[in-house]
Amino acid sequence: MARIRFQSVTKRYANGATAVAGLDLDIADQEFLVLLGPSGCGKSTTLNMIAGLEEISEGALLFDDRTMNNVPAHRRDVAMVFQSYALYPHKSVFENIAFGLRMRRVPEPELRRRVMDAAAKLEIAHLLERRPSQLSGGQRQRVALGRAMVREPSVFLMDEPLSNLDASLRISMRAQIRHLHAQMHSTFVYVTHDQAEALTLADRIVVMRDGTIQQIGSPDDIYERPANLFVASFLGSPAINLLEGALETIGGTLCFRRGALTVPLPACFRGDAREVVLGLRPEDVGPATSEAAQIHGVVDTAMPAGSDQFLGVAVEGAMLFLRVPKDVRVREGEPIGFGLTESRLHLFDRTTGRSLRRAA
Amino acid sequence: MIVPRPIAPRMLRLAALGLASLLLLAYVLGPVMWLLSSSLQTEREIVSIPPHWIPESPTLANFKAIFATGLGLARPSPAGTDPSSGGFIPSVAANLLPAMANSFIVAVTVTILNLLIGVPAAYAIGKIRFRGRGLTLYAILATRVIPDIALVVPLFLVVRKLGMLDSLASLIIAYLAITVPFSVFVLASFFEQMPDDLDRAARVDGCSRLRVLTHVYLPLARPALVAVGLFAFLASWNEFLLALMFTQTAASQTLPIVVAGITSDFTVSFSFLNAAGVLAVVPPVLLAVIFERYIVSGLTAGAVKG
Repeated sequence: MARIRFQSVTKRYANGATAVAGLDLDIADQEFLVLLGPSGCGKSTTLNMIAGLEEISEGALLFDDRTMNNVPAHRRDVAMVFQSYALYPHKSVFENIAFGLRMRRVPEPELRRRVMDAAAKLEIAHLLERRPSQLSGGQRQRVALGRAMVREPSVFLMDEPLSNLDASLRISMRAQIRHLHAQMHSTFVYVTHDQAEALTLADRIVVMRDGTIQQIGSPDDIYERPANLFVASFLGSPAINLLEGALETIGGTLCFRRGALTVPLPACFRGDAREVVLGLRPEDVGPATSEAAQIHGVVDTAMPAGSDQFLGVAVEGAMLFLRVPKDVRVREGEPIGFGLTESRLHLFDRTTGRSLRRAA
Repeated sequence: MIVPRPIAPRMLRLAALGLASLLLLAYVLGPVMWLLSSSLQTEREIVSIPPHWIPESPTLANFKAIFATGLGLARPSPAGTDPSSGGFIPSVAANLLPAMANSFIVAVTVTILNLLIGVPAAYAIGKIRFRGRGLTLYAILATRVIPDIALVVPLFLVVRKLGMLDSLASLIIAYLAITVPFSVFVLASFFEQMPDDLDRAARVDGCSRLRVLTHVYLPLARPALVAVGLFAFLASWNEFLLALMFTQTAASQTLPIVVAGITSDFTVSFSFLNAAGVLAVVPPVLLAVIFERYIVSGLTAGAVKG
């Protein structure tokens, strides 16, 4: 059982660099929280502060109601999986998994039972006598998971645990990690720069950049209602299309204008005349119908991609990258029109980068 | 058409290589072989021309004399005795065994203390990011930039002021000052190249800093520990200059001093000198044989990712 709270936590390194600035974050007991962001955004530092591997320069870190700032790592009920696996090279797989229990003086029969249980769950029971150097990457990853699992910790931390695995293994391990979270009554904090991992695993995602939180929300919140331009462009593959233009009120309706293009905006956006950026995800276009707002352009490139195709469409001097069904017949150089789903549009203030969506 | 490779140049190269190896071997092993051989010869045989590489009638008389006088069972020959008369025992013979014991006490103590001091220091420098870390390492190394000869007089004055002249403690302290910086440097770079995540994983797994050291890093550092320990032992075992300055009586003289003293006796017995030399060589050679597999893995550790 552990609820983790950051209260205005700042981490400054000896060289003066600030890794995390004024972090406020409340992680619920047994939640699966993913810290997402580009490298250097402070997500790993945040994780290390929970583990007790980095000192906190300012502010308070609480587990439930207990201040943890000065509790050393080995006295926190925390287990961690590292990107490099960090297995002890001189110990067998069994001893690697058992190490944390030995350090906590768990009696031998129980220790043995717990290690065997974990090994069975992770399907590595036949590897227990081997050394880490004799294992494949995937097997090492499982041993690292096992080492954390047997501890039955109240907080389970993972620092990019899947980054060193190949693509197919990564996807099957994602499923395994979800299972693990369902079975264990622990709070999971997971660091990644991989948006797909974050979107599939998380109960909530925290998007970070330059040591500050950009947005906290469910995967749907983050993807469908990004709070700012950074979050909008960090999530989504291929990336969201961003069109610069102006916000105008035409006949009582808020509209986005760029040259000849006018897109009436739904009521969920607010704001007065200003420079804005319209966000449109590649998949959020449909056939042009009379009811929906439309966008017209000229097909620049068409690239089939298996189940559907990607189109590069020139619109008012900008290039939009759109995903459409394969059966849409297009030819390069020909004009094309799409219908927009109003609820799927994103609008940001160009100066501040903030979303102009009304608070729900 | 395939032209068979001419054999002659290849044979020539092999022969040249073989000859070069032989020369090198003779150069390296020749003195050692002579030391060993002559220690088993009588004084008369040693000075014979041409020299006998293989003793005609090998004798352990020299070794017996060393042990007998050392244990008080025999007395040195009176001054002026002709060594070639046989059975000559130089006056310093009685000091050889105590000197060996002194050398051993000093070398072992230095080795142990060196590791006890060097390991935590190296771990701190290699693994804990603290302010002035680089500077600390440089400061420790800087003490080794100054040649020993320049330090002899100041060290002598300090030792005398402390009233520690002619004691083993003075040697132990001086040798620690020489060997610890080297150990810290070697071990610190060894610890530094070990992955940080290992340290972090162990701490999350429930180890205090000290336990990370004893349970994770030390088992992994075994080759480096052996290399550093051997260095400390050999440096202390072989050291001459400081021992010459600090020690004055048999109570604290080490083996190099006593062995060297044989040549400054009234009468020089070469067979006896060589027997003493063999005794001085045995402990380091034994250690090297025992730890051989660690030395090899220590030298190549980290060369290839395992």
